[in-house]
Amino acid sequence: MTSAIPKTVIIIAGALFFCSLPWAADYFGEQYLISLFTRILIYSLAAVSLDLLIGYGGLISLGHAAFVGIGAYVTAIFFHHSFVAEPIAGIVAGSDNALLVWPLAIIISAAFALIIGSLSLRTSGMHFIMITLAFAQMLYYFAVGLEKYGGDDGLSLYSRNQLVGMDLNNDVHFYFVCLFFLTLFLFISHRLVKSRFGLVLRGAASSSRRIKALGIPERRYKLVCFVIGGAGAGLAGALLANQTEYVSPGLLHWTLSGELMVMVLLGGLGSLFGPVLGATAYLLLEETLAMYTEHWMVYFGPILIMVVLFAKRGLFGFLTQKE
Amino acid sequence: MADYILQVKGLCKSFGAVQASQDLSFSIQRGHIHALIGPNGAGKTTVLNLLSGELQPDSGSILLNSEEINKLPVHKRVKAGLGRSFQITSIFNDLSVAENMALAILAGRGHNFRFWKNAMAVDIVQHTLTEALARVDLSGRAEQQAGRLSHGEKRQLEVGMALVGGPQLLMLDEPMAGQGAGGTVELQKLISGLKGTTTILLVEHDMDVVFSLADQISVIVYGHCIASGSPEEIRRNSEVQNAYLGEH
Repeated sequence: MTSAIPKTVIIIAGALFFCSLPWAADYFGEQYLISLFTRILIYSLAAVSLDLLIGYGGLISLGHAAFVGIGAYVTAIFFHHSFVAEPIAGIVAGSDNALLVWPLAIIISAAFALIIGSLSLRTSGMHFIMITLAFAQMLYYFAVGLEKYGGDDGLSLYSRNQLVGMDLNNDVHFYFVCLFFLTLFLFISHRLVKSRFGLVLRGAASSSRRIKALGIPERRYKLVCFVIGGAGAGLAGALLANQTEYVSPGLLHWTLSGELMVMVLLGGLGSLFGPVLGATAYLLLEETLAMYTEHWMVYFGPILIMVVLFAKRGLFGFLTQKE
Repeated sequence: MADYILQVKGLCKSFGAVQASQDLSFSIQRGHIHALIGPNGAGKTTVLNLLSGELQPDSGSILLNSEEINKLPVHKRVKAGLGRSFQITSIFNDLSVAENMALAILAGRGHNFRFWKNAMAVDIVQHTLTEALARVDLSGRAEQQAGRLSHGEKRQLEVGMALVGGPQLLMLDEPMAGQGAGGTVELQKLISGLKGTTTILLVEHDMDVVFSLADQISVIVYGHCIASGSPEEIRRNSEVQNAYLGEH
């Protein structure tokens, strides 16, 4: 590699790109780009939260969609109950206030992550992958069985949530709200991985035996990482429910977990900004290839294999490598 | 009555039919460099694993500062003052040298659930990192990824990390293995410099190193301690000569 691009240059270029996108879309008269890129922002958020687990905690979770799905369902269920004006389980009133529902989505996802994480982290390696997958699939079938909330058919929101001072039904407003949360989560994650907590976490991922020899009980650090990742995914779920104004059990399916994992790998494991690049590349490729053929996976697969083979540290690693 | 930092009494451990430790007893005096020697497969590393808590003994007891630590998990034993380096170099390959050392520095200082401040900017790291790296001659390597160090440098880093926690008893598992002549001299200097401040349990194959460094030597054969004493006594012990030294 002759030319390496400094990380900051890529990050600033990315920030400028995302900030100016609505105007560009408007200028070229391609309004659909705004909703496409909103989707990209939300998937990026979910992918970054998964990167915290895989890239920094060494926790290969194949059940990350569960937390996206929980966040989405919390949002949709609260909306539904506010819409039909009937308290949830006869106790809690529904709501479509983003300032109430989104934090709840985050907290409930985090709570599930705490339960699932504390059980899953008793295992490691292949068993951890399998047990996270099993938990996510369990929740998937649970959602399928939720007759009250549409079961298999999912549940529609008839409008986006209300957010003070914003009109989320306006696509540009919603786009910037998503951009704000992605930026915030990236910033928090960036601080996190450099902090004492992050150092211990990266150490535990690198050598679990050594971290124990240093007198550090690693499991609780990994668990906190798992919970933070789950919280990020929960927020992504809440945003996703708002964007599509629809939730279905598909959001909890392992295929979404797999897609998120591909985005992380494609963009670059353990780089935080890489997964944003990965999610962008993934969804744009999907969009473009799907225009030509419904069997777009046939073309996408080989591209992915090439990237994994030739850019082991993903797209972000490929752009920034110094050798 | 001597001041023993560690006492091992009647330790037994078997893996299936293999008796890795059989009624093993020895004691380490505070401030000494105590060497464990024995033929290959004598069970020396098993002893360290039993002491560190990675393995549980079938029977027998381990006393650190006269308190039984048999039941403590690895990280509690570290807190109680037991530090170790591994026979197979085990550092954090994915982290930089400075981060490795910082982690070792921070490990012994309260919990690490601090999510915001950059770990390298923490006061204690700022104050001690430079010295800790200099002590094992790695100042020039701070930003290097640890996995890319030479074998000898990895070993230096590992010993440095074990030291930084200020352990009362430091267990070194073949620190000289894979070192060039220069590295051996360096490490030997480092270890003898610790005499008096840190008690060291040294497992080592290099007999020149053992006999020049150790205050006390215990000889282990088939998981049993057949002799303990000063280097002179061990040299003169006929049982030891038959079982071990004579083979060379």
